Amino acid sequence: MAAFGSMSIAQIQQGLTNKEFSAREVAEASLARVASADEKVHAFLEVTEDLAYRAAARVDEAIASGNLAAAGPLAGVPVAFKDNMNLEGTHTTCSSHMLEDYVSPYTATCVKRIIDAGGIPLGKLNMDEFAFGSSTETSAFGPTCNPWDLSRVPGGSSGGSAAAVAAGMATMTLGSDTGGSIRQPGSFCGTVAVKPTYGVVSRYGVVAFGSSLDQVGPFARTVRDAALTMNALAGRDQLDCTSQNVTCDFTANLDQGVAGMRIGVVPEFMNAAGLTPEVKSKIDEAIGKLQDAGAEIVEVALPNVHAAISAYYVLGPCEAFSNLARFDSVRYGYCDPGHKDLGGQYEGSRAKGFGEEARRRIMLGSYLLSAGVYDKYYYPAQQVRTLITADYTAAYEKVDCIIAPCAPRTAFKFGEISDPTEMYLSDMYTISINIAGNGGMNMPIGVGADSGLPIGAQLIAPAFKDENMLRVAAALEKIYGEAPVAPAFADGKVGE
Amino acid sequence: MSEQYLDEKDVRGIAEYVRIGLTDDEVAAMTVDLNNVIETLKPITEYDLEGVEPTFHPIGDLSNVMREDVEVPGFTQEVALSNAPKQQDGCFLIPSILGEGGDR
Repeated sequence: MAAFGSMSIAQIQQGLTNKEFSAREVAEASLARVASADEKVHAFLEVTEDLAYRAAARVDEAIASGNLAAAGPLAGVPVAFKDNMNLEGTHTTCSSHMLEDYVSPYTATCVKRIIDAGGIPLGKLNMDEFAFGSSTETSAFGPTCNPWDLSRVPGGSSGGSAAAVAAGMATMTLGSDTGGSIRQPGSFCGTVAVKPTYGVVSRYGVVAFGSSLDQVGPFARTVRDAALTMNALAGRDQLDCTSQNVTCDFTANLDQGVAGMRIGVVPEFMNAAGLTPEVKSKIDEAIGKLQDAGAEIVEVALPNVHAAISAYYVLGPCEAFSNLARFDSVRYGYCDPGHKDLGGQYEGSRAKGFGEEARRRIMLGSYLLSAGVYDKYYYPAQQVRTLITADYTAAYEKVDCIIAPCAPRTAFKFGEISDPTEMYLSDMYTISINIAGNGGMNMPIGVGADSGLPIGAQLIAPAFKDENMLRVAAALEKIYGEAPVAPAFADGKVGE
Repeated sequence: MSEQYLDEKDVRGIAEYVRIGLTDDEVAAMTVDLNNVIETLKPITEYDLEGVEPTFHPIGDLSNVMREDVEVPGFTQEVALSNAPKQQDGCFLIPSILGEGGDR
């Protein structure tokens, strides 16, 4: 049986065009693959068999009438969605007991655009509870395992989205990124993983964490597949007033190479405490190879970027506290039984519905926004945001793209990091980009000399110039090759 | 040993405000956790930010957008209630908030 989840979009569409297989066969084989491989990985929280077959039927009808293109640019591609994205008729749990029984009455714009483009939806993917975490260990339904080493975390919060692609279960998945939740799991699982500029993709129907920071983007094994997905996702949506009118073709300059491009290297990133030698040496190697390929390497300073982590851990919890106030045990969500008064029902439901990290962030956000404390933390954090944004703006006068580590280390073992503040450091390279709002992505550049685990370069673009980072990523892909399916899951294997 | 920003009484107050019922053990553990996290935020209180304007949102110059005032399909009552833990006569059902067994 063909492993469609291991194929690229172009390979699938060629097979469909040549009638080597039908979209129904893609759906059938992909669902079978999920059933076997996911026993080891636990990336999926729900499998959407009916929706997959219905989507496949639409694609097969288009093929039968001789017009595959009419089925959309992602026709026949097996896809899956992070479980904070509403898809009508499916559970959208955010990996929380709070939403365990919640069934979406509508579909998020990002999900709708992928399905309208012909994608075959296989299901919903595990994550840290409400996206609070960097390892999927806070999921109320158990963690996802890293396909490269099942004793290690896939990263998070979009760990299921990264693992599903790395295990060859889906060609493309969607995740969301508030402080690194697409890029860091992309780095840990060795997939292309794109956090677009804030405003490129509609957030409508994605359960909100930090509304001024959240952005949706794709996981894939090739840069072109990620760019094709971006084309389907991007653009104005009347239902999200922060979404922008983006019309660029993200695939347009993938073959241009980096000759003549100015690529920035940031000493504050490369010399940061906590960066492991094997990651540093791979990033240095990639910088050298980009230079060999004709890029001009320019040192740029981001003098305020060290303030990003503390600013983020002020802003994130404050916005989360506000967003999670909606879970009231009345309209939807977990309702603790047996209470005779509404206050008791609220307190019981929110205590049992939310996990530990969610409760911690809600309470932290409430404290930080309280009278007297607001001026000490929240307001300065927003001032720091101005400084970090100005740092990036100044840097992009000198360069077209920045290269940096994506994560300071490779994937860690389950339970290895138990201190929440230490866990927060795994996002040290990604957070400043959400603070400033521009785009960033992970590009796999092979495995570490010590760990044998995937290492990713983070490419960071100016706001609304996401095509710049995709162009550099395509050049790195030429050098390092396409991101592979994890060895234990390659060639149809299921984790032996 | 990090600075004590909050004591257990403060944490109980916050828990009540955010409507999360915590046991005594949970209050104790949460107090330790929150103090540790707040300690890591200390740098934000120490920067010289005199005269720096805040940025509350990455996209500036947003103006309110009003769509045409025309009717579009929305949720039916049935759909809107479909996830309600308890409902009655087409309404969300909550415990009594007035009178007997009512407010605290």
